[in-house]
Amino acid sequence: MTEQIKLRQIDEYRWEIPQEGKMRTRGLIFASKEMLPKIREDRSLEQVANVATLPGIEGPSMAMPDIHWGYGFPIGGVAAFNLEEGVVSPGGVGYDINCGVRLLRTNLERAEIEKKIEELVDTLFNNIPTGVGSRRKDLKLTVPTLREVLLYGAKWAVKNGYGSEEDLAHIEAGGCIEGADPDTVSQFAMDRGRDQLGTLGSGNHFTEVGFVEEIFDEKLAEALGLFKGQVTVIIHTGSRGLGHQVCDDYIKVMLKASEKYGIWLPDRQLCCAPIQSPEGKQYLAAMAAAANFAFANRQMITHWVRESFEQVFKMGPRRLGLELVYDVAHNIAKIEKHVINGKEKTVCVHRKGATRAFPPGHPETPPAYKETGQPVLIPGDMGRYSFVLVGTQRAMEETFGSTCHGAGRELSRHAALKVAKGRNIVKELAAKGIIVRGAGRATVDEEISEAYKDVESVVNVTHGAGISTKVAKLRPMGVIKG
Amino acid sequence: MGPKRRHRPYRTLSHTADLKLRIWGATLKELFENAGAALMATITDRRGLRAKETEEITVDAPDREALLVAWLNHLLYLYDVKGFLGRDFTVLDLSSEKLRARIRGEVFDPGRHVSKTAVKAATYHQLEIRQTQDGWQATVILDL
Repeated sequence: MTEQIKLRQIDEYRWEIPQEGKMRTRGLIFASKEMLPKIREDRSLEQVANVATLPGIEGPSMAMPDIHWGYGFPIGGVAAFNLEEGVVSPGGVGYDINCGVRLLRTNLERAEIEKKIEELVDTLFNNIPTGVGSRRKDLKLTVPTLREVLLYGAKWAVKNGYGSEEDLAHIEAGGCIEGADPDTVSQFAMDRGRDQLGTLGSGNHFTEVGFVEEIFDEKLAEALGLFKGQVTVIIHTGSRGLGHQVCDDYIKVMLKASEKYGIWLPDRQLCCAPIQSPEGKQYLAAMAAAANFAFANRQMITHWVRESFEQVFKMGPRRLGLELVYDVAHNIAKIEKHVINGKEKTVCVHRKGATRAFPPGHPETPPAYKETGQPVLIPGDMGRYSFVLVGTQRAMEETFGSTCHGAGRELSRHAALKVAKGRNIVKELAAKGIIVRGAGRATVDEEISEAYKDVESVVNVTHGAGISTKVAKLRPMGVIKG
Repeated sequence: MGPKRRHRPYRTLSHTADLKLRIWGATLKELFENAGAALMATITDRRGLRAKETEEITVDAPDREALLVAWLNHLLYLYDVKGFLGRDFTVLDLSSEKLRARIRGEVFDPGRHVSKTAVKAATYHQLEIRQTQDGWQATVILDL
């Protein structure tokens, strides 16, 4: 295999890749010692070192504890670039632009819904388009409307009856990234988006009803409106085919741009352009548009979740209390102000399989969370658990306000199908008290717990390193998947 | 000279998060046809597909490898926008920058067709097309 990347231990959770050769800065990996052998098995460390060669990089090239091999940038990668000389790279965002997750709280307790969980899962499955070809009959999107969605994101959704204004304050970027330009989105992408707005998608996307099993910090939990035994809902999805197409379109643009601007690339998939170049600006505008599509998508699905609960439990919205705790993106590039070497600087932060984790008091942290820090949702696999955390000042100082995003896969889909062969996964999960409805059998089998790393160990590293603080642990009761 | 080696038109190689395809063809045209079939086999059970409709498409790209990615991504586009899945692939014209193909297949029917793995895109990661002793071989990774 390739020569081993040198790792120097800094402390229990931090490892440095020393700056060498064409690297412009060091690499910084957040991980536990136990995780390292697995991390070394694929070439993700090499990818962290490769990102460090890109022009205009500020601070280290980082990776969160859920690091694994991606295209160019590793999954779990965080890298920031200054606006003057720095670059923006579609590979640093990912194909599923603004794949992200939101958490809804409720006033309900687990015992109240247990008897009706199957009915609830079925209702969610019927109300939320899931899987190939399923659509809402009441949604017909025209191109002018789609352009509005790309411009206004979740704001468009609220304006059109999906949810309320209060929701917007609980979404990263208010559910709308500024600077989106539908003209930078190709016709191919628009075509794909038109039919897929308001759909869950498949693979590892899901909507999950669960409950709070454990509270780690009473004060923080209370501020987030969480209590033990409380019923919660997690929605995990992204920008669907529109986002994938935008990424593919701009990789082509950036391959040419890298040559045009004379940017040496250790790996073609790191193709990029200077942020200030026409190509860089166009990508950011198209990325924002795709991100807004995803924010609108999650907002619409939230509306159908609320409707489903109302249908099944025959209670009104106030009694149900299905409120948005927070919505975060984990595949995105954001223009943000950070303090670097004592000076405030505007940078473009790439988070690919990483989540923003802003501290208490930050202007972008919603008023409700001014004292706690921005909530961070970390979904695990459908058989185990998910976590709620909050951002910290330490993250702001060390990781451009970033943390992990999830568990990361351990087994390939092929290997997972082998492990699942002959087993009835849906039945096994039902025996554990988890009702799963998937649109396709293979998606369920590919998503078994054994296929995923343990998200708890990932979360514990970020907590131990001080870049996010654990608030609560959630357990699934019912899941719908595409 | 011994018997000609029989090659499987495509197979999957190990990759944790995504899918790595190894494709073979006696000619480049066949390689691209088998790549299309490999993609379809990932998305659905090809045995359920019927040759009811025809799509004729043209794709272009700066080089042959990029053309393979563009071809597969165009098939994903057809699937997203029309639900169209190809059963029989015939490459009519192929250069290192342009491909014209006829595909016979049908629209996905949730009642009849099996939904296997959702594919987001074909990527440039580890992308390779090379000539072998008895044909052509390609490697392409699909983002799932």
